[in-house]
Amino acid sequence: MNASTERPTLPASTPDFDLLRRFEPVLRFTKGEQFFPMDVGTHVKESSLWSHSPDGRDTLLVRQGDLDLEKLVQPRDAAFGTVHYLRFIEPLSLSEAARALADQARLRTKLKNHFHAGLGRLARGGILPRLVDALFSASFLLRGRVPAASAAAAELAYFRLRRRNDTYTYYGRVVRNNGWVVLQYWYFYCYNSWRSGFNGVNDHEADWEVASIYLYEQDSRLIPEWLAYASHDFKGDDLRRRWDDEDEINFADGHPVVYVGAGSHASYFRKGEYMAEINLDLPGWVRRGLNAWNKFWTETLGQQPVDPFRIPFVDYARGDGLAIGSNGTENWTPVPIAESTPWVSQYRGLWGLFAQDPISGENAPAGPMYNRDGSPRGAWYDPLGFAGLDKVPPPPEALNLLEKNCRDITTRQEKLEALIPEKAGQLQSLGIKLKGMEGNPHLAKQYASLERQKDALVGEVRGLRREHFENAALLQGLTGRLERMRQGARDDPRAHIRHLAIPVKTARMRFENATQTWAAISQSVLLIGIVVLMVATPKYIIAGLVILTLLLVAIESVLRGAFVQTVGGITVFLAMVSAAILIIHFWYWILIGVLLITAFFLMAQRLREVD
Amino acid sequence: MTIVAWTILVMFFVRLYQVFEPLLFAGVFEHGITEALFQDGWFTSFGFAMLTSAAYAALSLTGIIVLVGFLRMKRWSWVVLMVWTGISLTITLFDYFYSEANYIIMASDTIVAFALSQADVQRIFGIRTDPGERLD
Repeated sequence: MNASTERPTLPASTPDFDLLRRFEPVLRFTKGEQFFPMDVGTHVKESSLWSHSPDGRDTLLVRQGDLDLEKLVQPRDAAFGTVHYLRFIEPLSLSEAARALADQARLRTKLKNHFHAGLGRLARGGILPRLVDALFSASFLLRGRVPAASAAAAELAYFRLRRRNDTYTYYGRVVRNNGWVVLQYWYFYCYNSWRSGFNGVNDHEADWEVASIYLYEQDSRLIPEWLAYASHDFKGDDLRRRWDDEDEINFADGHPVVYVGAGSHASYFRKGEYMAEINLDLPGWVRRGLNAWNKFWTETLGQQPVDPFRIPFVDYARGDGLAIGSNGTENWTPVPIAESTPWVSQYRGLWGLFAQDPISGENAPAGPMYNRDGSPRGAWYDPLGFAGLDKVPPPPEALNLLEKNCRDITTRQEKLEALIPEKAGQLQSLGIKLKGMEGNPHLAKQYASLERQKDALVGEVRGLRREHFENAALLQGLTGRLERMRQGARDDPRAHIRHLAIPVKTARMRFENATQTWAAISQSVLLIGIVVLMVATPKYIIAGLVILTLLLVAIESVLRGAFVQTVGGITVFLAMVSAAILIIHFWYWILIGVLLITAFFLMAQRLREVD
Repeated sequence: MTIVAWTILVMFFVRLYQVFEPLLFAGVFEHGITEALFQDGWFTSFGFAMLTSAAYAALSLTGIIVLVGFLRMKRWSWVVLMVWTGISLTITLFDYFYSEANYIIMASDTIVAFALSQADVQRIFGIRTDPGERLD
């Protein structure tokens, strides 16, 4: 263990606030990020409070400027299905929207806070996911969404707030649960600009993120053991890293570092660019059909799996921008919270605009304690289960629990070792008794009764022997682990992880500029090609479309360095179509051929058996 | 592998049929070149038959080179043969849907495509690096 991962310890009597401060993570942002953790009071003061009733009406409850945390938590009667929400950016007129976008561009130039995407997400995915992505983008026309100019207006509003009060706030909470001391750090952002700022999945007003540190007590000292950062698509064990996993965790002056996704504010242990693919919510029969096709395509035809309904997005967590926390460019303002904090427990509404998006991607989140529908949030009421730690005892207790397990099994083994010979003896006695009864027809009834007893005893003895055998194997495993634990040996720190978030290698693409350009224009080229086919050769429109698509896919594969794989896939697909045509046209002759081959094969097999 | 190689070899010779088919229909083997190849600055139907045959002959010559590479288990020969089969299948399917289908070519292409996509064949030619893993 090196100096960076050497575990700092604090006395178990350390006040909660000091615990939070000692382990507070350092947040490193990507250059170009526009929103940082802020205090909720300022946000609420700059917002209006609304209610959305089940009949679709939106009602202004408290005007912007009149609202504060005290008014936010006032009890308000409402019908079932009502959604309360804050609105940070009021609806913009066309001229206000245009002005906001122009001012945003000027502000970025002034601050030199420009984001460079590098290899864009469209170039990282294939042409089919790109086409599906176009449909996904088009879906925003039907779904509720946060208007594009809102992000610009939010960026300007937040900039003005920062000029007035340039503080960075986290909300800290300490929970003691099952031998663990959990330090939770909640971060509030007034806006998530992943889609508008970084070509991501969604935009929404307000954003809540959490990072947790899990400590245990030993010899009256608190020692950090695990960290868990909230991140897309990951849950339970996959969120957790061990403090001494130096390949996964970076430290700054003894504080763990969180690399924050640009716009999305998702948290990562390692800096880099992460592919965040989203699966479209397809009907079950389409998904089943796709799975069946993939099974045939990969297992029978030996091709690479295809899923055009996975749309690639990039989460940039480069850590090359602002850093908040120890050794960073900015310092934290910590604020402790608990269930007793009124705005935490008494406001169940959304912390930003309710965009009426049915799949919720564009709706603002609720607070740390609640989900959007007002139900309790798992990370709050079950911080251990949130990181898959509910089944993991703290290290000192793990040894005790293991020793107890070994003792229990040993005791049971001793009992079994006495019980098995006893039962086996009874069985033998029954067996000899039954043997003696054979050949005596008048004992048939008793014989049948004893035989049933014998069968039951056979089952019991077999069960006991199996249990003894299995216990011996289990005890061997547990004893081995116990020995290793006593010697201080530790498990692989990543043994619990099933899906590890790994940053993508950005240098793996060849012809990078050409690939980017191609990714940007390929869909338009396809559409123009369709128009040309419709005008020039309407008779051959379908064939032309197929050939055009194959051509585009082939060009794409050259740029992506997957030409061989793609050509193989296309040719096998065409061969499947041809095979289907041949079977339809010549099924009779194929049947005759199969019957003849079978006949000759069987004949050859049988003739071998003839002397 | 030997069986696959011989299958592909046989299929390749079947494809030579494409070279001679236009000449057979044009009666070149019976009467020789008796008609004009060009008229009014463009090919006559006889000229087209000769052009088609010549094109297929050039393809067949290329095919021989590919075949040599294939029998020597060169990676490039697998790629060229797969591309060729893909193009041939596209043309054959186009013919099927819009004019006369050539089922012999279609069948041979189909067999070649499936033979080339076999995991063992791909490993032999260095197309597939690990069992069940990603292609190159």
